[in-house]
Amino acid sequence: MLRPERMRRLLIAAPKGEIDAIIRELYRHNVYHIEDFVPESSSEALSIGHPLPEASDAASALIKVRAIENACGIDPENVDVKTKLPASKVREMIRTDLPVIQKEAEDLVGSRSRLEARQKEHEQRARELEPFAAVPLDLEFYRGYTRFTVFTGHITHDVEIDVPNEKYFSDKVVGNMIVVVVQNEHREQVERTLLDAGFQAIPVPEETGAPADRMKAHLEEARGIEGEISAINGKIAGIRERHADFLVACDELLTADVERAEAPLRFATTEETFITEGWVPEDRADRILDALEKATNGKIYIEELEIEEDTSVPVEYENPSFASPTQMLMDIYARPRYSEIDPTLMVAIVFPIFFGMILGDVGYGAVLLALSLGLRKFLKGEGGRNLLKVLSYASISSIVFGVLYSEFLGFSLPWEPLVFSRHLNIGGHAGGHGPQVVELMVIAIWIGILHITLGRILGILNARRLYHGRHATKAVISHAGWLGVMWGILLIIWSFFPIPMMLDLTGFPVAIAVGVVLLVAGVIGIAQENALEIVELPTIVSHVLSYARLVAVGLSSVAIAMVVNYISIGMMIEPQLEAITPVGVILIIVGILVFLMGHVLNTALGLLGGGLHSIRLHYVEFFTKFYKGGGKKYNPFGMISKFTEE
Amino acid sequence: MVDFGTAELTLEMIQASQVGMSAVGAGLAVGLTGVGTGLAEMGIGAAAVGATAENRDMFGLALLFTVIPETIVIFGLVVALLLLF
Repeated sequence: MLRPERMRRLLIAAPKGEIDAIIRELYRHNVYHIEDFVPESSSEALSIGHPLPEASDAASALIKVRAIENACGIDPENVDVKTKLPASKVREMIRTDLPVIQKEAEDLVGSRSRLEARQKEHEQRARELEPFAAVPLDLEFYRGYTRFTVFTGHITHDVEIDVPNEKYFSDKVVGNMIVVVVQNEHREQVERTLLDAGFQAIPVPEETGAPADRMKAHLEEARGIEGEISAINGKIAGIRERHADFLVACDELLTADVERAEAPLRFATTEETFITEGWVPEDRADRILDALEKATNGKIYIEELEIEEDTSVPVEYENPSFASPTQMLMDIYARPRYSEIDPTLMVAIVFPIFFGMILGDVGYGAVLLALSLGLRKFLKGEGGRNLLKVLSYASISSIVFGVLYSEFLGFSLPWEPLVFSRHLNIGGHAGGHGPQVVELMVIAIWIGILHITLGRILGILNARRLYHGRHATKAVISHAGWLGVMWGILLIIWSFFPIPMMLDLTGFPVAIAVGVVLLVAGVIGIAQENALEIVELPTIVSHVLSYARLVAVGLSSVAIAMVVNYISIGMMIEPQLEAITPVGVILIIVGILVFLMGHVLNTALGLLGGGLHSIRLHYVEFFTKFYKGGGKKYNPFGMISKFTEE
Repeated sequence: MVDFGTAELTLEMIQASQVGMSAVGAGLAVGLTGVGTGLAEMGIGAAAVGATAENRDMFGLALLFTVIPETIVIFGLVVALLLLF
C-alpha cells in the first residue's frame, strides 16, 4: 500500500543440462521478471543463448493456429472459458485434429476468395456494359469493320458531325454516351470535333448480344455467387462454433511453448553454463527458490544482488482490491517508480468523490451504474473491465451526492438538500432559496487547498526517497517553500477580506505579518533550488482556483437538465394535458422525445465532464506536485492459463 | 409627489439595467472564454487525433491533453455564476 511491491534481484546460474527444467519451473510460477541479457563487445566469454530445439516446430504450429483463428474471426480475448482442456489432450489433438481443421479452413477460405474474385469480375463487366445498354445496338455491330471507324465513349453534350455518319447519343447514363460510325477517311476530323466536346473513349466489351441482356446476366451471376459466399461463411461460422474452444486452447498452449523455447535468447551463456538475471517479488521469492533447488537437485547457483538503480526495478502495484481498477488510470499517466509513493489508493478514494460532486444526481448515477454493470458482459478486455469498475464506483458516489443535493434528473427529490443546494431558478417552479453558489465555490476551493497541500507533503516525502544528500535537502526546502507561499497568500487574503466559511482574520494585524513572512520565506525556499521556478508562482493561484470546476461543471449539468425538463414538461407536455386534442397528443410525444434526447445527451456530457475533469484535477493539479513516474512494468515470465490445465 | 414617483421609477430602472448589465457580463465571460478555449483546443485536438491515429494507446492521454485548456472556460463559468447568483 502506498508503495510498489518490494522486489528482490536474483542471479541464477546453472549447467546447460538443467536449462529445460529451470525454464519450466520459472514459467510455472509466473513470478520471475527476466532482465534481458545484452552482450557487451568487450566480454567475449558470454553470448546470447540459442532457442531450445522445439522452438521452430511450436512456432510454425502457432502460426497455423493463428491463421485459422484469423480466418474464422476468433479472438482469444473475447472467448468465454467453458471448461479448461487438459494440456495432454490438447497436444494429442494438435497432432490429430489440427491438420484436418486447418485443411478445412484453408479450403473454405481459398474457395471464398476465388468466388469473391469471380464476383468482382462479373460486377466489373456489368459496370463496363452499363453505358452500352443505353444504345440500341448489339455488341457485335461495334467490331469487324475495315472501311469504318467506330467511336464509343462519354461526352459532355451531343455534337453535330458534318460528314456522313451514323450516330447514337444518350443522356440516360452518367457522363452521357455517344457512338459514332464514320468512314476511315473522316476519322481525324471527327475525332477532333468529338474531343472538343470533351470526348472520353471507352473500349467496347469483348462480348456478343444485346448489352442490356448481357449486363443482366452478369449481375445475376454475381448475385448467385453472393449466395455461395454466404453459404461458405456459414460453414466457417460452423468451424468457429465447433472448434473455437480447441483453437484458443491450442493458441494458449503453443504460445507458452514458444515463450519457453525462446527464453534462452534472453539468457547469457558460456560453453557449459547459462546465467540469467531477474526480479522476483519479495513475498514470493522463497517459494520459487525452493522449487528451483528441488527441480534441479541442487545443481543451481542463486545469488541475491543489490538493487543499484531505482529506475531499473520493474514495478508492480500493491493495493487493496477495491483500488486495483484505478491502477489503469495511473498507467495512463505513468507507472510509479520503485522507490516513490504510489498514489493509487488516494486516487481510488478521491476520484469518485470528485465525480460525485460534479455529477451529483440520483437519476444519472443510476443510469451510469446500470450501464457499467450491463457493459461488463460485452467488454472482455482487462482495461475495459477496470474502466467499468472505476465507473461503477464513481456512479455510486454520484447517487450518494444526488441524495445529498436532492437531485433526480434535474428535479428535486421530496426533501430539502442535505448539504448546499444546486437548484437553479429555471422555469416557473422556482422554489427554495436558489443555488448556494458562493458556499459551494468556497467548499471547492477548500478541497483544492487541502488536495494541493497533501500533494506538496507527499512531494517532501518523495524527495527524501528519490534524492540523496544536498539535492534531497534542497528539494524538500523547495516543496516547503511552495506550501509557505500558498498559505502565506491565504493568510494575507483572509486578513483583508472576510470570506464565508473561511477563517476571518480581519482584526488580527499579526496574521498579515505571518503571511508576509511565510510568503517571502517560501519564495526564497523555491529560489534556492532553481531561481527559474519563480515564474511558476502564479500557478499557485490558478491551480487552487481550478478546483472551482467541481462546482461550475456540476452546475452547468444541472442547468442543462433543468432546461430540458422545462422545455419538455413545462412548455410541451403540461399545457396539453389540460385539454387533450389531436395536435396536443403529437406535441406530448415530441415533448417525451425532447425529454429523452436531452437527458441522454446530458448523461453523456456528465460522464465526460465528470470523468475527465476529475481525473484532470489529479493529473495536472495533484500529480505535478510530487509524482515522477516512469517505472518499468513488472512482466513476469509465465502465463495465467485460461483455457488449458496441466 | 410626482417628482418623488419619477425618482422611484428611475431608481427601479437603474436597478433593472444593472441586473441586465451583469447578465450581459456573465454572457460575455462564458462566451469569450469559450472562444479562447476553442482556439486553444483547436491545435491540441488536431495533434491529439494525429497521435491517436499513429498509436491507439495514446487515446487516454490525448483526450486529457485536449481538455487541459477547458480551465479557461471554467474560469469564465465561475465568474458568470458569481455574477448571476
